[in-house]
Amino acid sequence: MSYQHAQDNWFAAIVIGFIALAVLVNIIRARMGAQLYIRRIPGLDAIDEAIGRSTELGRPVTMIPGMTAFGVVAVQALTIFKYITKQIARFATPMRLLSGDPTVFAVAQEAIYDAYNEAGRPDLYDADNIRFLSDRQFAFASGVAGLIQRERVAASFMFGEFFAESLIFAETGNMVGAIQIAGTVSFTQVPFFVAACDYTIIGEEFYATSAYLSREPVLLGSLVGQDIAKLLFALTTLGGVVAATIAGTDAPIIKLLGQPGGWDAFWSSVLKGGGQ
Amino acid sequence: MHMLTNLMAQQTIWRLPEESRILFATLIVLGAFVLILGLAPVLQTLPPRGRRAIIVTVTFLAGLFFAAEFFLPVDWTAIFPKDDPKRNFLTPAIQPAQNVLQIIGALALGLGTFGLVRLHLRNAVQRRAQWGYSIVLLVSFVVMATLSILNTLAEKEIVERGPVLKRAFSILFDYTLVQLDAAMFSLIAFYIFSAAYRAFRIRSIEASILMFTAMLVMIGVVPLGAFISYTLLGLPEAGAPEGANFLTQLEHSIGLPKIANWVLTQLNAPAQRAIEFGVGIGGLAMAIRLWLSLERGVT
Repeated sequence: MSYQHAQDNWFAAIVIGFIALAVLVNIIRARMGAQLYIRRIPGLDAIDEAIGRSTELGRPVTMIPGMTAFGVVAVQALTIFKYITKQIARFATPMRLLSGDPTVFAVAQEAIYDAYNEAGRPDLYDADNIRFLSDRQFAFASGVAGLIQRERVAASFMFGEFFAESLIFAETGNMVGAIQIAGTVSFTQVPFFVAACDYTIIGEEFYATSAYLSREPVLLGSLVGQDIAKLLFALTTLGGVVAATIAGTDAPIIKLLGQPGGWDAFWSSVLKGGGQ
Repeated sequence: MHMLTNLMAQQTIWRLPEESRILFATLIVLGAFVLILGLAPVLQTLPPRGRRAIIVTVTFLAGLFFAAEFFLPVDWTAIFPKDDPKRNFLTPAIQPAQNVLQIIGALALGLGTFGLVRLHLRNAVQRRAQWGYSIVLLVSFVVMATLSILNTLAEKEIVERGPVLKRAFSILFDYTLVQLDAAMFSLIAFYIFSAAYRAFRIRSIEASILMFTAMLVMIGVVPLGAFISYTLLGLPEAGAPEGANFLTQLEHSIGLPKIANWVLTQLNAPAQRAIEFGVGIGGLAMAIRLWLSLERGVT
């Protein structure tokens, strides 16, 4: 099996290094007390409203990380669920966390236990509320849909990576009248969530969630670093369009920007004094 | 150096020797168990700060392995002439590292299954609400697990696959589980219909644009679009000839299939790529925070 390496295109490796540097520098800035601005995200403001509604109705809140395998997406999703659980613990609102991945389930148990502890209500923690249903996609989907229907949940939070089952969750929640907030990195599922949920967190907003909710300097700094990286991408795209228009798509500079081996082609053309 | 060169050339640094593979594998598994069983009490007795230091170090070293594998040059033939120039000395260790992750996942599956069975056993024993469903789940679980294990053993020719086992497994897997999966999947069609109805209700200018564009794309990608454009309206199906004037080019470009394709490739794809860029950068930033243990969410 072949794997990608920095040597395939050093330009891409340099970009990765730049993004890492931008993130780390801004984390240090934030830790030193720099005031960093973060724009309003309505979907996240609605989390407290959804919890309040569940509390008033006395019906459970569901948290669904989907079939997300354990990784950065799962960690981000569980960070959000931990925040939601802390809010829930204040009002003793019932909750269910439904996972389709056993590793995520194991970590979720610890995270939710920590959340109840940090909220000062360890007595409310019930291991049975964090459930692994199945690692088969549609068995998991039917399990979630059944639970939403039977328990008439009042709020449903779906954060993580979703596939074809996303619409089953969202439409079932819609049918029982739950407030639904979804956030996903799976852009193919975004239209389904937009159509069926009250609020949808799209793409990079998903990674901004923990910074937005906690206002921790490390996370805010990281977010500013991400914005600088996006600016770099925008400028590279713009530069690439101009360069491709002027020099053509086979020019070494264009290969440098996007093709494996482009680095070698670019430098050999530079050393030869232009041309290809 | 010569031995190292030979080992690298044979790719045996990260692979078990063929002739004693079972012995080595057994020793590694036993060693891992001893390490885990020995490490767990040590970690429990350590103060939180000490425990955290160990976790931070292990996380950093594990992340460093993958980063080093990516950034190190692949061609080391100048130093090790027999080495494969398409990989560096860490590359062969990627697969074993992924195997370790799979093993951890398999252990977690046991935990998940234990939690599921415990919950439903409690439901059944304490006669909680709808405990009948828990009985169904437990019976299905035991029967399916037993038949699956027997079927796997039969595939490995450890037990004989009799007609009863063959038939029972086929009934449960092919004629029940697969069909239930298909039934759930087919529900999506109805859900799409109801979700689309809500999304396309004309309530604002944006919703109107969305609906109009969706209609164009939907008609454009099915044969009806081609029939309307090229048969009913008589628009040219082929591309415009080179050097054609603007009106001719326009005439060759306004067939519904071409408009649908343009919307998908020129409007939809760039927007999706922009989202992907944001997601990629966000994921990278999150990975850096996790690697350096700066993320305090669930870690």
